[in-house]
Amino acid sequence: MVAAETPEQPMSAQDFETQESGWGILAELPGDPMMWVLIFSELAVFGLLLGAFAVARTVNPSVFASGQGLLDPGLAAINTLVLLTSGWAAARGALAARERRRPACRRWLALAIALGALFVAIKLLEYVGEIGTGADLERSTFFTLYFLLTGFHLLHVMLGMVILAVVLRGAAPAAVETGTSFWHMVDLVWVVMFPIIYLVR
Amino acid sequence: MMDRHSLETTLVVLVGLAITTLLASRHLTAGPATSAAVLGIAVLKGRRILLDFLGLRTAPALWRGLVTAWVTGVASLAWAASAARLLI
Repeated sequence: MVAAETPEQPMSAQDFETQESGWGILAELPGDPMMWVLIFSELAVFGLLLGAFAVARTVNPSVFASGQGLLDPGLAAINTLVLLTSGWAAARGALAARERRRPACRRWLALAIALGALFVAIKLLEYVGEIGTGADLERSTFFTLYFLLTGFHLLHVMLGMVILAVVLRGAAPAAVETGTSFWHMVDLVWVVMFPIIYLVR
Repeated sequence: MMDRHSLETTLVVLVGLAITTLLASRHLTAGPATSAAVLGIAVLKGRRILLDFLGLRTAPALWRGLVTAWVTGVASLAWAASAARLLI
């Protein structure tokens, strides 16, 4: 006699997630694995743009030297300090979230956002000065790539501020870790971009 | 997991490296050696950010290595492109 086969109960989404996340080695990264897919994609795009900038510099050294001479490395250096401090505030926010200190987490993230806004203001001030000297997207290869790279990065800073504002509301540890991971990626890209655009001759 | 004192130390190191970068670019003669110094400092800054802020210190070595390779690769390409001008 054949025993009646009992139908297998379907697993709920929550059970499935608990048993197996499906993200494999990505699940061992801090924050949501989907954010890391985005981070790696963004790093690839910024890597290609910075590579194109470096190669174009080799082809047009005099154009790049004269274009670089019109930039203000002092303002960019101040922006580096602003973004590094903002990254530290975001890291403190993530730490406070893990320690379940929600008010402290919100304060740290608000500071990170405020410093992000200061970065945007300084960058716009820098653009105004550069455009005042006649620089625009079509002036030279240098300025096309300069505005493309720094403008794309500036958009990421603004997107990061929105993401931090969203996770600040609930101050949940996992969400804060995910949001701050994006913010640190923006910080990391600037740290590499700053010397390549402004300082390397 | 980083504690608050370690995060403070990281910030001080990063600010120190950022100031050193600016001073080096202003006071050293422009050339491949100065570019290498400035980009080398950028790699050090990037490494501190990815380990201490991004939290990859405790992540699998594969991810740490991948992001470190991105920082080092982009900086190396920029240096090579800058130095290549001397050969052309």
